[in-house]
Amino acid sequence: MSSLRTTLTGYVGYRGKEGHLSFLLHRVTGLGTALFLTIHILDTSFVFFFPQLYQHAIDLYRSTLFGIAEIGLIFCVLFHGVNGLRIAFVDLIAPKFWSKPLQRSSTRWTVIVTLILWLPATGVMLYNILHHNFGLFGG
Amino acid sequence: MSATTVRTVTKPKANYETTAWKWMRYSGFLLIPLVWGHVLLQDIIVGVHKIDLDYVALRWASVGWRIYDTLLLGFAFAHGTNGIRQVLNDFFHQPEKRKIINVGLFIFWIVITAIGGIALIGGVRPIP
Repeated sequence: MSSLRTTLTGYVGYRGKEGHLSFLLHRVTGLGTALFLTIHILDTSFVFFFPQLYQHAIDLYRSTLFGIAEIGLIFCVLFHGVNGLRIAFVDLIAPKFWSKPLQRSSTRWTVIVTLILWLPATGVMLYNILHHNFGLFGG
Repeated sequence: MSATTVRTVTKPKANYETTAWKWMRYSGFLLIPLVWGHVLLQDIIVGVHKIDLDYVALRWASVGWRIYDTLLLGFAFAHGTNGIRQVLNDFFHQPEKRKIINVGLFIFWIVITAIGGIALIGGVRPIP
């Protein structure tokens, strides 16, 4: 029980600036993606196990609430990927280049690259929600 | 300050965690094209409003897409389950608790992967 609390208070209270925040964001986005992935494997397996229920699952995903969650999921996948590339590059390919200022700036760049990839995707998905669920743009 | 002590640290022998640590990074490289390609196609280009049973049947009629989805299932879910294990190991330090977590997650991983794998091999069945 104590290790649980120590870790949790460390997660919140540690003041490591960019590195700390990117560590937390990497974990949260990873866990979020893993949670959805588990559900997604199960709902896709319906096509074999319960084909009559597959459309119900898809109808849920088409709802506005899930559409907004989907936009959040894409952020998780993109940030976790860009940040993962940064981590793997420094760990496996260029550990000699590790320095505090470089890590700080590359962490900021990770967020910028994520947003550049995420914002157009968000636009398309918002369009789809408004088109199919609200009848806009000739839907 | 002339009294400089040089501390030599012997590199510990590679163990399971070393392999898992490296594997998370190698599989991460592979998952970038796999997962981003999947997301780009299914969420952005096609979109959930155009996905239904027929769409999955059409897609899985091609062996290439089944292999793609098999790679996704294998690598993404193993990467994710090991990630959950690494996070939980930060919170639970006692060997007994870690053993429960490891065994539990292993069963979780095998069962979900098997369910997805059976569906991938069996394919889309007609609605009875």
